[in-house]
Amino acid sequence: MKTIGKVIGLAAFLVATATGAAHGPGEMVIVLNSGDGTVSIVDPATRKEVKRIPVGKEPHHLMATPDNKELIVANAASNDLVFLDPKSGEILRRVPNISDPYQIGYSPDKKWFVSVSNRLDRVDIYTADFKLAKRIPTGKVPSHVAFTADSTIAFVTVQESNEFIAIDLATQKEIWKLPTGKQPAGIWMTPDDRHLLIGITGESHVEVYDWRAKKRVKKMLTGLGAHNFVARGDGRHVFLSNRMANSVSMIDQQSLEVKETFNVPGGPDCMEVTKDGKQLWTTTRWIRMLTVVDLESKKVVQQIPVGKSPHGLFFLSHAPRQ
Amino acid sequence: MDPLENLVLGFAGAFVAAWAQLHATLFESVVQPALFHLGLTTWIEMAFDWTEVFLIGAVEIVLLALVLTALEKWRPVEARKVSPAVRVDVIYTLLVRLGALPLAIFFLLLPLVEGLDGWLRLHDYIPPKIEDAFPALLAHPMASFLVYLVIIDFAMYWIHRAQHRLGFWWALHALHHSQREMTFWTDDRNHVLDMVFTDAVLALVALAVGVPPGQFVLLVAVSRALESLAHANVRMSFGRVGEWILVSPRFHRVHHAIGPGHEGRNHGSNFAVLFPVWDHLFGTASPVRDYPPTGIRDQLTGRDYGEGFWRQQWLGFKRLAGRA
Repeated sequence: MKTIGKVIGLAAFLVATATGAAHGPGEMVIVLNSGDGTVSIVDPATRKEVKRIPVGKEPHHLMATPDNKELIVANAASNDLVFLDPKSGEILRRVPNISDPYQIGYSPDKKWFVSVSNRLDRVDIYTADFKLAKRIPTGKVPSHVAFTADSTIAFVTVQESNEFIAIDLATQKEIWKLPTGKQPAGIWMTPDDRHLLIGITGESHVEVYDWRAKKRVKKMLTGLGAHNFVARGDGRHVFLSNRMANSVSMIDQQSLEVKETFNVPGGPDCMEVTKDGKQLWTTTRWIRMLTVVDLESKKVVQQIPVGKSPHGLFFLSHAPRQ
Repeated sequence: MDPLENLVLGFAGAFVAAWAQLHATLFESVVQPALFHLGLTTWIEMAFDWTEVFLIGAVEIVLLALVLTALEKWRPVEARKVSPAVRVDVIYTLLVRLGALPLAIFFLLLPLVEGLDGWLRLHDYIPPKIEDAFPALLAHPMASFLVYLVIIDFAMYWIHRAQHRLGFWWALHALHHSQREMTFWTDDRNHVLDMVFTDAVLALVALAVGVPPGQFVLLVAVSRALESLAHANVRMSFGRVGEWILVSPRFHRVHHAIGPGHEGRNHGSNFAVLFPVWDHLFGTASPVRDYPPTGIRDQLTGRDYGEGFWRQQWLGFKRLAGRA
């Protein structure tokens, strides 16, 4: 019996490592169910939700701290941040009195923590230890944030005002803005620090801006509801979710061309790519699923039931962010 | 896990999956394309939530119509047929429970509430929340929801006192009381401006104590169903203990009675919406125990509150202006 047990154990281990090879041992996939106020902990080996933990009201976005030791969840309606263990998803601590944190981001020099208040039309700049430095009023419905490599400027898309703004981080003032297509959302700085890519959610394309020249240099047709970005991790390509077309496009950041677009049903939103570059995981909001796409075949290989309106997701063994 | 637990979890999982599928299909095939063409994609997430409000409302109305109609037939207070007076209440129920009127009021109040909220935050006021005082609630969102439910019901009790006490508010709220053929459909028969005032006060309450967890849509539907039941034309009391715990059709009928419902020192009695304990605590519980006729006394001398939706709304504005 003991030998049989060992054989079964070994087989289970092999199966687990074979299917979950992209992830380190014990590493979970962490999904924010914005409609449920919970975090789904999904085991990438079995591709099943193992736990659901209450986290706060309307958690939308999350990101790792610069030292990668904690994962910050922004609870928009709770006005707080919750810190999770990035490996297991367990709650570690809570930072109160962060006003309506929707999209969040650290400047590359780790000096500033920027929280975009989507509902109340503000961009709030905090020091790295969450002391408020400035609340900056914006146009209607500010959305996503990106930074210059030297951390001098934060760019924020403003959805209902059809523009994006540049905020000088040293003076914490809006220094300029440019009009965009309808409802700009995801904003992405190319690794060469030259171009900003903006997902135009109210239309079907990505706009490319030369931010130094303050002008638009290109439009790339992707799909209806072009929304959010994640790096493929090869320093060259970036994925974009088209939430209404139910597809994901891969963009070459050097040639500024759309390389291919593949189907991902259910309203794809935030994404992660595994460290080995073989899988793309995305929250599919409308169908309450976490979707796994095999990047060789470009096919959906799994839909994992999670909570309501799943939005942000994270796992530790993700591809490089550029 | 025992087989029964497995079965229950399996059934619940299948139900949630089917519901999610229905919600997603309606949203992706109808609502989302419409928003896109109207240039309203910024509101896409809110629209997804309102799509569910509509779906829950539709299911709720069907269930209420089946169950409460049967109850009303079984033990009616007043035997009657469906009349035009009742039919207009059906229209109110459809407008409210399917989300159309609440959505319109939401967008009317949104700039005011967000303007105030934003201004407060620029002045370093971030709305506190109940969970700050009781951190244990953070790990137990359902308990948190129930605490908010009690607070909101407490606020509703005082709003309701004001609806009867303040002359301008009664001018509008009287429409709700003008139903002399009360049924479970009467719950949503309200003047639109009355709803706006009520929601505005509730928004202020949210700025003072935070917002409840949003995921317990079924519990919200249950509390609304209880409010419908409270208006039903049915002889039903919840017994000696139950009458203290939840508002029954008997308790609420007295609130709608000609006389005890709108006269006396407090301009009425039995004001509670869900939990009658407020009336017992603040001395507004009525000693009346039977099922009196409903309406407003001046209706007996011919005052007209209107029969159709538009006339009722119009007369409400006229009463407000002191011209009806």
